[in-house]
This record gives sequence, structure tokens and C-alpha cells, in this order.
Amino acid sequence: MISQNALRHAEKCRFCFMCRHLCPIQLQTGKEVNTPRAKGLLLSMVNKGAAEFDKDMAQTMYECLICDACVNDCATGYQPPLYIREARTEAVVNDLAPQAVMQLIENVDATGNIYGVQKPSFAQEGSDVLVYIGEVAACKVPQMAEGLLKVLAKAGVSAKVLDNEPASGVMLADLMGYVDEVAQQAKACAAAINATGIKTVVVLDSYDAEIMKQRYAQWGAEINAEIITATAYVAKLIEDGKLAAKAACGTLGACHDDDRLARTFYEFAPIRAIAKAAGYQLTEMFNKERLAKSCGSAVALAYMPNIVTKVAAGRWDDLARTEATAMLTASPEAYLCLSQATPEGKQVVDLYSALAE
Amino acid sequence: MKILVCMKAVPSTGQVQVDGQFRLQRDGAKLQWNIADEAALEAALTLKSAEDTVTVLTMGPAKLEDPLRELLARGADRAILVSDPAFAGADTVATAGTIAKAAEFLGDFDLILCGRRAIDGETGQTPAMVAAALGIPCISNAESVQLQNGAVFVARRLESGTVLLSVPCPVCVSMCEYTYTLRLPGIMGMRRAKSKTVELLDSAALGLSPQSCGLKGSLTKVISMDSKFPGLRNGPKETDLNAGTDALLAMLQEVVK
Ligand code: SF4
Ligand code: SF4
Repeated sequence: MISQNALRHAEKCRFCFMCRHLCPIQLQTGKEVNTPRAKGLLLSMVNKGAAEFDKDMAQTMYECLICDACVNDCATGYQPPLYIREARTEAVVNDLAPQAVMQLIENVDATGNIYGVQKPSFAQEGSDVLVYIGEVAACKVPQMAEGLLKVLAKAGVSAKVLDNEPASGVMLADLMGYVDEVAQQAKACAAAINATGIKTVVVLDSYDAEIMKQRYAQWGAEINAEIITATAYVAKLIEDGKLAAKAACGTLGACHDDDRLARTFYEFAPIRAIAKAAGYQLTEMFNKERLAKSCGSAVALAYMPNIVTKVAAGRWDDLARTEATAMLTASPEAYLCLSQATPEGKQVVDLYSALAE
Repeated sequence: MKILVCMKAVPSTGQVQVDGQFRLQRDGAKLQWNIADEAALEAALTLKSAEDTVTVLTMGPAKLEDPLRELLARGADRAILVSDPAFAGADTVATAGTIAKAAEFLGDFDLILCGRRAIDGETGQTPAMVAAALGIPCISNAESVQLQNGAVFVARRLESGTVLLSVPCPVCVSMCEYTYTLRLPGIMGMRRAKSKTVELLDSAALGLSPQSCGLKGSLTKVISMDSKFPGLRNGPKETDLNAGTDALLAMLQEVVK
């Protein structure tokens, strides 16, 4: 049941090849079927009855990071992730999704996160802002969550963190598309946020920020507060003089623009302001800002670790073309993926912890 | 409790075209469910308990089978497609007559929910006409609907405020488009929908003669249609907000003269 709208995006592609050589998955796997346009072509064939949507095709639909690089570069305005997400829904409905994906869905069902663990709590009381930590930081990159909370305390911000913070729905949305199960998670999350009465929500993981800002209202899950990414919020604290810049650390670093900050929010300056305030000297990778190459996502890392580790290594290759020794990030998802492939002599830096030290 | 929801597929905004006889062209157009009808379906799904059934019904071409199946995935129990070439060109009277016949054919509904108006025709007449044809009361402009002890409690929007009405079933209620957002299809719903069929009702099944439905059964005829803003895209451009609002006001006054 691929929607007419998604099929339009799949079928109207004019095969200009532009998205072919920037898809990080295609670049690392080298498989023609992993180009965004090939995925569209496959679905178009299914629609015309020329191919069957089987397990192999479902597998192909999961070999995508939903990084939006193809969307950013398609001059005709087509959006491969639109049909890729719907194809994932189709795969789950028809029991064709890879086993590893089904296991992650079961984990989300049981615990709210793909890791199948009780989410660690960062609960604290506060009244200025509500900080939304998210599943990835809480479960896999807790030092970044702690770093952010320390930075806010240093700036005199009274920050609340929910006990039993509900999942935003973004993990499930990447695994099985925009379906009612995701909307139900969104509603529960919005209700918990609204119950605090706090009017500013600082969201650590830009993936969570994206779904909250761009999807919640459509599903009747309005958040009655301003949603702001943690990078934008901390950069504003620096600009307002509430956080003093640290002394230069003598390390040359390059900022990694994560997929959502790069291509959903177009937020490039905040992360660089934070990196400078943390004492880093900056240089730039060639693929930066909207053209930043993805280093993977936490969800994709969980079901295809080998491919995502190669993708992360590809991002380190970009850094190797500069003089920098540090990859600077304020994204828990990027930190997690980059850490899988850190080369000798290089380091991935969590900017909140660096600023908090 | 048996609930019927009447849905209309309308051309996506920006794709509205009429033929030489001033009939809306749906064949090539991208169709979407009328937004107020979606709200009616969400209201029905919100009311539905385990013993209740929600039936969705639409009148239109065969290509609406897949969109109807999607409504099954969203939670409807049964989907009915009222389709026949003889139904083409129906005005609101003929449409309401056909829908009422289908409702009678399908059995006794306790509650019929519709959108208050469709974004293509914008008449808002059909719900009341369906109710009249079935001999049941109709409450229009409903913002919310609740069920209690065999009666509906409806918040009805008026110019001056909201009135709360209680009416015993069976009753027809037409919903405003802004209070309920139709839920997404869920994975379990999609799995369920795969094994369900969309039921087809044509004029023979409903016992309708060609004279009593479609264009022939219509009491109204559009005899002319013209645009009040020919060449609008090439019209005057204003960048100043106040001057722009004044110019727009003058244009509208010209239209209502
Ligand atoms: S979203 Fe990213 S990974 Fe997926 S097809 Fe597009 S470029 Fe490739
Ligand atoms: S960039 Fe757009 S038009 Fe070109 S091949 Fe990719 S999807 Fe097709």
C-alpha cells in the first residue's frame, strides 16, 4: 500500500544520477541497488506488477540511513526517504522486514528503545527549560547528556529532566514508517511534556527534535512549548555571555554537521560557536553543512552495524583530508556512530562535555 | 452500536477542473478524502467500543477501492463502495438519495457521521438530505460527539457560541473539520485490512432505476460557471500590507456587488 504521493516521487525520477554518487550507503556498499533512484525504480516495478516485493527488496529498503542527502541534492524535488519509509511499513506489515529490524521493533515495544533496556534516568527538577535527553544519549552516550546538563547549570539555567522520559517515536518511525504506533508514542511524549507547563523544550538529539517539530502537530500531538535544539540553545547562551569561552586547547578540529541539523534545521553556526567556546581551533571538511556526508544513525547502526561502521569510516576519511585531529560533534547519534571507526591518532569530541569541563 | 461514516473523495486542492457540462472532473485528478469526512471517521473511531462497528461508505469510481482499504487499516470494520456509471453527475439530492438507499440496504445504523461540507462543492447539503431521506434528525456543524445510553451528545458550533444538544439515536451528525485529526494506519490495522474486502454496491443492488440516480435523478443543473478573477496571476501586485488589504477588499466588494 505505497501511497500515490510516494509513488509519484518514485516514478517521476528523471535518472539524472545526481543522488547516485552522494548516497553514503551506496558509496560504502558499492551496490547499484543501493542508490536512491534504484530503490524508487524497484518500487515502481512492484507497482506495475513487474517485480515482487519480497525479502530481498525489503532488505534493500532498510539499507538506507534516511539521511536526506539525496533529498537535498535532487534538483527535481523528489524525496526518496518518503517512499523508502512507506516501503518499510509494507515490509513490516507483510513480515518481510529483516530479522534484526523485527528484533529492534520488539525491543521498542517492550522498553521504548531499540536497545531493549530500561532507559537510564537523568531526572532533575528545574523551571526555566525542560531538557529532552532521548533514547540514544540516555542509553549509549550518557556522558553527552551529563555534559549538556552541566553546561546549562554553569550558565545558571534551571533545567528540568523528566523521570521516565517517554520515547519520542523517532526510532519506531525509522524502523516502520509513519504509522499509528509512532503517533501513539508521540501523543504520550507530548502529553508528558505539556504536563510540566514549561514553555521551552531543549532537545539534545536532533532526530527527536525533527519529529517533534515536523510531525507531532499533524498527528494531534501538539507540544505547547517552543522546541529548540540543544545546539541552538547553548550557542545562544554563549552569544548572550552566559557561558564564558574556554582557553584554547591547541587542538584543530572539524565540526560534523549531523543529518538533521544539516538538512532539516539548516543549523550550521551554533555547533561552530560551541566548538570555539570549548577552545577548539576550527577547520572545515569539504562535505560540510547541507552537503555534510552522513556518518550513520543509531537505529541503522543497531540493525546493520557493519555497513554503518563503514559509513562512519567514510566520514573519518573526510577528516583525514584536512589537518584536523578531532571530529567535533554535539549529536549523540553521530558520536555513537563515529566512535565505531575512530582511526589511530584521531578523536571524536563530545562538545557539551568539552564545554562543561 | 452501528456507526456509518460517509466519506467523499475530492480532488486535491489546486487540481480542481470542470468539464463542458460544469461537472467536476475526478478521473485524472489526484483524489484525497475530504478533510471534514476524515474528522467524522476519527470521531467514529474515538467513540467505537469493542462491540461497536464502524462502516465507511463512499460513492465514486472503482479506483477508490484502495483508498477505502486504507480506511480499514485506520480502524474501520467495513468498507462500502457505492459505484455505478449510472451514479455519475449526481447533484446533492441524487447523491443523498443514493447514500440513504445504501444505508437502508446495509441495515439499521444508530449513528451516521458525515463531514459538514466537502471542499469541492462546498454545499453542505448532503448530510441533512441523507437524514431527511431516512427520516432521522440531523445535527450539523458538530465540534464533538459523545454517546451515552443510546443518545448522542453533540457540541454544535453556532455564530454566537456553542450549544450542547442531546438527541436519541438514530441520528445523523455532520462534523466540523478542525476538532478531530484522523489517526494514521497502524501495523495491526494494515494486517487486518489485507484480509478484508471492500464491498461493492451498484444501482442494481440498491434497486435504483437510472431515472432516480446520477445526472437523470438530479433536480439541479449547473447552467453556467465563470471565474470572478480571470487572469488573476497577472493581476496587480502589492508589497505593502495595508495597500494590499485595501486592494483585496475592493476586489471582493466588486465580486459581491
Ligand atoms: S536517505 Fe541517505 S542513505 Fe538513504 S537513499 Fe538517500 S542518500 Fe542514501
Ligand atoms: S537526483 Fe532526483 S531526479 Fe536525479 S536520479 Fe536522484 S531522485 Fe532521480
